[in-house]
Amino acid sequence: MRSIDRFGVTEEQLRALVAEGLRDGGDWCDLYFEDTAYHDLLLRDGVVGSGGYHVDYGCGIRVLKGEKTGYAYAETTDFASLKSAARAAGSIAATATSLRGSALQSATQPRGESQDLYPELVAWEGADCKGFVEFLQRIEAGIRARDSRVLKVVAILSYSVSDVMMFNSLGELTSDHRPLGSLSVQVIFRQGDRTENNTVSRSLRMGAEFISEDVLEDLVSRAVAGMDARFEARRPKGGQMSVVMGAGASGILLHEAMGHAFEADFNRKGQSIFTDKMGQRICRPGINILDDGTLPRSRGACNFDDEGVPGQKTYMVTDGVLTSYLHDRISAGYYGVAPTGNGRRESFRYNPIPRMRATYMESGPDGTKEDLIASVRKGIYVDQFANGQVKIGEGDFTFFVKSGFLIERGRLTMPVKDINIIGNGPQALADIEAVAGDLKVDEGTWTCGKEQSVAVSCGIPSVLIRNLTVGGE
Amino acid sequence: MITDKELAFVREALQMAQAAGAQHARATLSVSEEDLVATLDGEVDRVTHCADRSLSLALFVDGRYGSYSTNKLDRESLSGFIRQAVDATRMVAEDPCRTLPDPARCCTDALTGDELGLVDPARLSLTPADRQNIALSASVFSSDKRIISEEGEYSDSVYDSVVMDTNGVCCRHSECSFDYGVEITIESGGQKYSGYWWDASSRLAELDAAACGRKALERAVGQIGSKPARSGRYTAVIDAEMASKMVSPLLRALSGYSIQQHNSFLMDSLGKQLFPEGLTLLDVPRIPGQTCSKYFDSEGVATREAPVIERGVVREYFINTYMANKMQMAPTVEDATRAKVLPWPEPGLDRAEILRRCGRGILVTDFNGGNSNPVTGDFSYGIEGYLFENGRIVRPVSEMLMTGNFLALWARLIAAGDDARPCQSKLVPTLAFAEVDFSG
Repeated sequence: MRSIDRFGVTEEQLRALVAEGLRDGGDWCDLYFEDTAYHDLLLRDGVVGSGGYHVDYGCGIRVLKGEKTGYAYAETTDFASLKSAARAAGSIAATATSLRGSALQSATQPRGESQDLYPELVAWEGADCKGFVEFLQRIEAGIRARDSRVLKVVAILSYSVSDVMMFNSLGELTSDHRPLGSLSVQVIFRQGDRTENNTVSRSLRMGAEFISEDVLEDLVSRAVAGMDARFEARRPKGGQMSVVMGAGASGILLHEAMGHAFEADFNRKGQSIFTDKMGQRICRPGINILDDGTLPRSRGACNFDDEGVPGQKTYMVTDGVLTSYLHDRISAGYYGVAPTGNGRRESFRYNPIPRMRATYMESGPDGTKEDLIASVRKGIYVDQFANGQVKIGEGDFTFFVKSGFLIERGRLTMPVKDINIIGNGPQALADIEAVAGDLKVDEGTWTCGKEQSVAVSCGIPSVLIRNLTVGGE
Repeated sequence: MITDKELAFVREALQMAQAAGAQHARATLSVSEEDLVATLDGEVDRVTHCADRSLSLALFVDGRYGSYSTNKLDRESLSGFIRQAVDATRMVAEDPCRTLPDPARCCTDALTGDELGLVDPARLSLTPADRQNIALSASVFSSDKRIISEEGEYSDSVYDSVVMDTNGVCCRHSECSFDYGVEITIESGGQKYSGYWWDASSRLAELDAAACGRKALERAVGQIGSKPARSGRYTAVIDAEMASKMVSPLLRALSGYSIQQHNSFLMDSLGKQLFPEGLTLLDVPRIPGQTCSKYFDSEGVATREAPVIERGVVREYFINTYMANKMQMAPTVEDATRAKVLPWPEPGLDRAEILRRCGRGILVTDFNGGNSNPVTGDFSYGIEGYLFENGRIVRPVSEMLMTGNFLALWARLIAAGDDARPCQSKLVPTLAFAEVDFSG
């Protein structure tokens, strides 16, 4: 089905809606149509005893006057409702008092490769739901077969398919079909009179082929991995120390400590600690940090962002120098550069803002994870995380470590868990002493919560950072 | 907001579900409208208008259960959606514990939705110009040369929902909310510092937007020159603005879902003295005129004032109908609606008095990330605030971590103030604890 037919509008109506939005003198108008179906199945106490199905449908209309935004949406796509929303969004033109920024430009340059980054090889809609139920049951059986300490298993399969269509005042019409499959598993273990938990997840933009033996084995093996150490783990003595961050999920460091501060809206408003640092060295030569919307099947992949800009790969730090912010159309207009495909939103209910996609650091020249650990006299190695946060102005970031080990005289010793680590973004960048050659992009269910929830991914090779503050007793 | 026609439509949805094969069903219609004006540096930056309407359905089909929602509410779309939902429910396993709540436990006194007096007619007369005036007049951007960015956001909204089920339960809740929040970033000595403050009320006249900018600026300026204090054990005073972070994990641990799944550090705690006598935590869900008050939970079960923790003794788990059936326990309510920590050791203490009584320690005014382990109660949070000595603030601190265990933390409760902010969903005052580990 053509997107325009799915939403029951004609191209003539799209042009009329844009004209309505610009009636009061707006500079730019864009429309974002969305039709999302979201399903979930929950396994608890050994049975898949509940399921869900949720439909979200509507259209968001944005009008810009300079950098000022008017936004409204309708939960139907009948022309009268959309026209009313366009009029409400267009009212910004009458209220904007001071305008900065240059005119918005076309962003239809090709991505380089025109293939679909996330084809739905097996359609979720109409797929064998009974097969999904059996799959969840096999996950629990696999986990229980590998560890007799398992007390409870909760497994959730969620999958969604979003069809979006975008049209703007340049006449650009784009559409995207976005499948997403996610599995998360929480396990409670008991050993003697102690209990511990472990949570693992996997999420990819793909069709029902996501339900595979590979995913099952990955989740089962990770769900029971490291539990001996978890039961032995203690809080370390807190304070400043060297931290070796394991490859993969440690990419949360980049997301929190640097990625948000590179988002152009924070810089346009003068709030970021990296404002006015463009072109300057911010870490040692050889370090490259990028935000990539082109990784096939990644949660952060974008054929197009939510402003119709083609997905692309953006180097924020090149050879240690700050080379780009992450732009939506507004900030790109302000800085006079091309948008970078980072204009993203949670749904048609939200206006797009600069957001990360898959943020990672390229592999470095400093050997292996073991080499990094061996170089530390006293510190900590961390490899599993729950969440993170940053204060944009100050640059202070934190992330919560689910598991890791003390490093003593170059060797991993006592397991540690449930500690927060805090640092300052620019300082942490400057304190990166070594980067291993083992880049891994994590495929967990990472969701960024900057004003709106957006699926992202992150990755990093093993890195050694001097002087982060580790929580402890 | 919900019209008689829409109420009839909800009843019809329940009939459609039964016609499609569901033996029982619950339907919740939610309708809301919001207008927002965001400002940047004292100018209007964004205006938005939102109007939402969605229908949620809980279906009980041949001993099976599923939950569904849609915002495609034309009759034809809804009919197809319900048929599909009933078919999907048949795919999952039977679960005899899934039932509607006993109608005798359900709310019967929420008929108009405005019994608590949370709908302010002033919203109806607000014009776009009024909203801009509120947002712009709260700006303090020009008041201090150190301010490099001020982002304010004013919004007003009305929310209306009705819950009906096939046992005849019908209850409705309507509530307005007027909100203003502002983040101010300043520059001093080449460093940036930010401060945030907000206010909210169900009554426009009670919203104090003008005070927010001053307070946010005060918080940003207060952090100038901040640095970590030496790692060690300090008395911790948690400002009322942030203190709910010390209470929310207790409420989660007392949820029936957590208990049933052994995912709680308060297993087998009912009736036991696990906390000090100084901690009394109530649920006060029915205070008229107070934001977040509500007569019923998501199942339509009537809320009631009840002790959750009384003088340190755990008095209540939050057990909905499903968990009650699974755990063979008496049901209560789904969750605390409006948790309230009572003052201790005496009423009337505010932050200044608590600092004076504590003498020396760290006053926590903001958290930066962190988390807790639901099974063990271990926590670790990033913090910023102030070092205080002799009851007076000495200097700002930041880039520090506060680490511990919730049971051990509460066992060292020194005081609970009488200064909870009524705009917050949980009424938690300034709290003070002895011997807390801080790393810096």
